[in-house]
Amino acid sequence: MASSTSTRLEWIGAAIDQYQGRLIRFAARITGDAESARDVVQDTFLRLCREDRDRVRDHLPAWLFRVCRNRALDVRKKEGPLRSLDDSGTSPLEEPGTDPHARLESGDDTRRVLAAIATLPAAQQEVLRLRFQEELSYKEIGAVTGHSVGSVGFLIHAGIKQLRERLGAGDPASRPEGERADA
Amino acid sequence: MHDEPRDEDLTAYALGELDGEARAAVEAVLAESADARHEVDEVRAAASRLREAFATVPHQALSPAQRAAVEAEAAREPRSRRRSWSVAATLVAGVAASLVAMATLYRPFRRDALPPVYEPVQPLIEAPATPLPPAGHALIPPATRVPSEVTARLKALGYVDRTPDGFEQDALTPRFNSLRESSARFNTEAYDHIRDNAFVLVAQDPRSTFSVDVDTASYSIVRRFLQGGQLPPKDAVRIEELVNYFPYAYEPPTGAVPFAVHMETASCPWRPAHRLVRIGIKGREVPREERPPSNLVFLIDVSGSMNEPNKLPLVKAALRLLVEQLRPEDRVAIAVYAGSEGLALPSTPATEKGTILSAIESLSPGGSTHGSAGIRLAYETAAASFIEGGVNRVILATDGDFNVGVTSPGDLVRLIETKAKSGVFLTALGFGMGNLKDATLEKLADHGNGNYAYIDTLSEARKVFVEQVGGTLVTIAKDVKLQVEFNPAKVKAFRLVGYENRVLAHQDFNDDTRDAGDIGAGHTVTALYEIVPPGVAIDVPGVDPLKYQPTTDRVRGSGSGELLTLKLRYKQPDASQSARLDVPVEDSGRSFQDASTDFRFAAAVAAFGMALRDSPYKGDANLRTIQDWAQSGLGEDEGGHRAELVALVEQARRLSPNR
Repeated sequence: MASSTSTRLEWIGAAIDQYQGRLIRFAARITGDAESARDVVQDTFLRLCREDRDRVRDHLPAWLFRVCRNRALDVRKKEGPLRSLDDSGTSPLEEPGTDPHARLESGDDTRRVLAAIATLPAAQQEVLRLRFQEELSYKEIGAVTGHSVGSVGFLIHAGIKQLRERLGAGDPASRPEGERADA
Repeated sequence: MHDEPRDEDLTAYALGELDGEARAAVEAVLAESADARHEVDEVRAAASRLREAFATVPHQALSPAQRAAVEAEAAREPRSRRRSWSVAATLVAGVAASLVAMATLYRPFRRDALPPVYEPVQPLIEAPATPLPPAGHALIPPATRVPSEVTARLKALGYVDRTPDGFEQDALTPRFNSLRESSARFNTEAYDHIRDNAFVLVAQDPRSTFSVDVDTASYSIVRRFLQGGQLPPKDAVRIEELVNYFPYAYEPPTGAVPFAVHMETASCPWRPAHRLVRIGIKGREVPREERPPSNLVFLIDVSGSMNEPNKLPLVKAALRLLVEQLRPEDRVAIAVYAGSEGLALPSTPATEKGTILSAIESLSPGGSTHGSAGIRLAYETAAASFIEGGVNRVILATDGDFNVGVTSPGDLVRLIETKAKSGVFLTALGFGMGNLKDATLEKLADHGNGNYAYIDTLSEARKVFVEQVGGTLVTIAKDVKLQVEFNPAKVKAFRLVGYENRVLAHQDFNDDTRDAGDIGAGHTVTALYEIVPPGVAIDVPGVDPLKYQPTTDRVRGSGSGELLTLKLRYKQPDASQSARLDVPVEDSGRSFQDASTDFRFAAAVAAFGMALRDSPYKGDANLRTIQDWAQSGLGEDEGGHRAELVALVEQARRLSPNR
């Protein structure tokens, strides 16, 4: 018993190490503040503790993000949206106080990209984050959000397409002008 | 051959999401089309820009306390974790049914919100449409309106095998069914494991020591399960709390001692060869006009988890009932806690009833629970308006889900223990279901000079705050400990029925620093001992007879005819030194049928608890006989509480035809 407990502790500890930062970042997008995001993530891991390891092992990231997302939406529903996902495009984890459209003018590619993302519909933003920030697969994103895999594919495609349109040529390094000629 | 892949398939391909036929289809297109190849490159370039941008968002970590709380949970015995799952399983069906049953009792609170007993995927609430950046760009229709021809084409590619909204029919179904099932265990009600007290051979140990308990929460919890159509989890059944839920007609004290002791002996109904001894304690009644002035601090959990019809709205209704019972010299303050703690109402005289009632009314849920800071604030508020010689009490209303800050029960208990020394008493009121931390609340009340009740209906609130308000508010004796010494000439073995988590070490009896239970004004406390007389066979497993013992005929005092002596220690509410009371008792030799109605009813309730716990000591008791015993013990039944028990036994019979 003692050894299974210590193995369990190690497993939970490793899961915290690997996922806490990603989950807090993700939850903060929903709750609007880092403090309640931490509470949400603590809750998520407490639930993981009560879970049978064998049942979640094969889909741990999807499980964690799904539970975390539900919990965060609960919190937001009960506390009222402190800030909706795309009303300003800033979360307390990012640099606050800048209007997203103003940021579009800035030369810094990262800021431009983040500002452009902030102008997308909430559902698109969410799947883009899950795909490119959290590196979940379409299937995992579907399990987390309840969208079908096809919807996830469509949302991501639409999101990327809009971003490309909004950002235009962008950073020359990531979008060499000569590419079309080569193709 | 194949339909030409759509743009979104190129995106999926670019991101490495396609395989098999779908992938081959895209590759066939790519081989022929420079535009398609360009498109794939563009998607990959955009993806890497996205990754780079996202990577700049900093990571944060849990606070050390939060992490420690999670690790403490992970380190818990696996068995106790599993147990809470089975609680969850039995609850799922019960929740809906009991809510419906409750709705008739307090319709005003009914809402259609059910506690989240499983983990459905919640829809992301769409924020209002965003204003477009500089004009000229056509917006792609929102994803929720994926055109059906798109879906059809995706299906044709084998990329989607169902409609966008159908989560159930996913190809991943087996895997995510298991995810859903495991999520269904998220009911987090927690009950500490109870192991029934065993028979003790008097030749091995002639004494039994325990603390009184006036808590009644377990009865309300059991009732909630049964009325909801489920048998309660065994560990939610604490027999002493079932027995003590009911008032008994014990005579109140007449002298200086704050309580009277009444003992009765008759044959044991579930094992007629055994005897049953009932210890009945009755606290002094304090009439309303003699009640000392009260300094009350309500400490209300307003965290998000309290936002359910049977929680915060019921808390408010219960507090309104209590406020109606107050007298002009009483004072009330309201402290709240959630993400942060605060005073919703500074200490206010009861004459300003309107102010108090509107403060109660304005409580609204929000935030996560930070119980310890709230507890500190409440005790500080109580200390600031302390009334010498009065009732100084913190009344905590929560579902007990302390999940921020000091979360280990041990830390909380230590905090409460320290605070209790200031002369402020505690009443813990448990509300709601789903994540009720029964064990935590019981421990808080035990260590905080307090009592614990579970309030599931307005009528239960009325019992606690109106019918028995004196007992709830006014403590007449604290740290009440009982020690029973059995006469080996009359008793071969004994078993204390219930009080499993109240058992004390013998040496704690005379140790005034050891905390024990309190008795409120008018409270009754009932304890039962099942006794094996000499000459009746009893097998106590695992215990060998002692080798070096005096023979029983030479034991001093054994010829007295006394069955046992009850020794009782208690403190006056403001004293630190205890007084002692000795009460010897002889066996009247009565049969169960000749016993008092109170005796028969208490025995029936104890047997009901044993049946629900499926105790190894339940003997011949079954739900049918228990119902008869309870029926025979109804007596005058003021308030109809006993009749309710008979109905609950009947309900348990319906739910368990085999018992």
